[in-house]
Amino acid sequence: MTPSITSCVLCNRRDILKASGALLLPLAIPGAIHALGDQSATTANGGTDPYPIPWLDKNGSHNQPAGLNLEPSHIYHFKGRVARCSTFAGMGTDNKGNRIAFGSATTDYGVMQGEYWAGRTTQQGAFTHI
Amino acid sequence: MVAVPDGGVKFSLDGNACTVEMRDVAVVDQPRWPALDSLATPARMSFKIIWKSNGQSARYEDASRHFRFSGTAATCQLEAQVEVPSAGFSWKSDPLETSKCDFAIIGDEANGRYYDS
Repeated sequence: MTPSITSCVLCNRRDILKASGALLLPLAIPGAIHALGDQSATTANGGTDPYPIPWLDKNGSHNQPAGLNLEPSHIYHFKGRVARCSTFAGMGTDNKGNRIAFGSATTDYGVMQGEYWAGRTTQQGAFTHI
Repeated sequence: MVAVPDGGVKFSLDGNACTVEMRDVAVVDQPRWPALDSLATPARMSFKIIWKSNGQSARYEDASRHFRFSGTAATCQLEAQVEVPSAGFSWKSDPLETSKCDFAIIGDEANGRYYDS
């Protein structure tokens, strides 16, 4: 709603994996070596989470501005329908009856619906940036 | 960014309008974001957003970044409700028709591996 309210369910999963990888490695090596002979090879990107736009957000938060000549999608390897908007302005009321405005130049929303590539195959889905 | 459940997003058949509606989406309230020590408090958000094409062509393409958008400029309006239970705070916007934004687009995009296909 306001720029101060953010959501990032998908990137959190990736961030957690990235952050925890270095910590888990020393503990995981003995078990992993032992298990190598028992498991078939798996892909490095086995998840179905969409890719972030690579040159915009290396941290994977999928966040980028909306505007003229800027890419509308928040995810990469995507084709489908998109809608973007920014610079909202409006009013509202809190639970104590105070009138509070919302919106700024960076209050933006977006939606993507279609096909994307993840887990080394095509996926279908819809995502929104709020 | 969050996944939209089935039925949460509806594009019109001609692609000129889109409605997104979700209820009780888990978000965080971070009044001091993007400060590194910004406190994040669990919150919930319900919202409805409607885009409507105004017919004015819009086409963005950047071969170096492998993206192509083809669509139109649009109007966009929203209504929303936010609750931060731990703070005892809630807020509800005025009706959708009272909001406005200066920039909106709607259309089709291909990027990444789909850009050249």
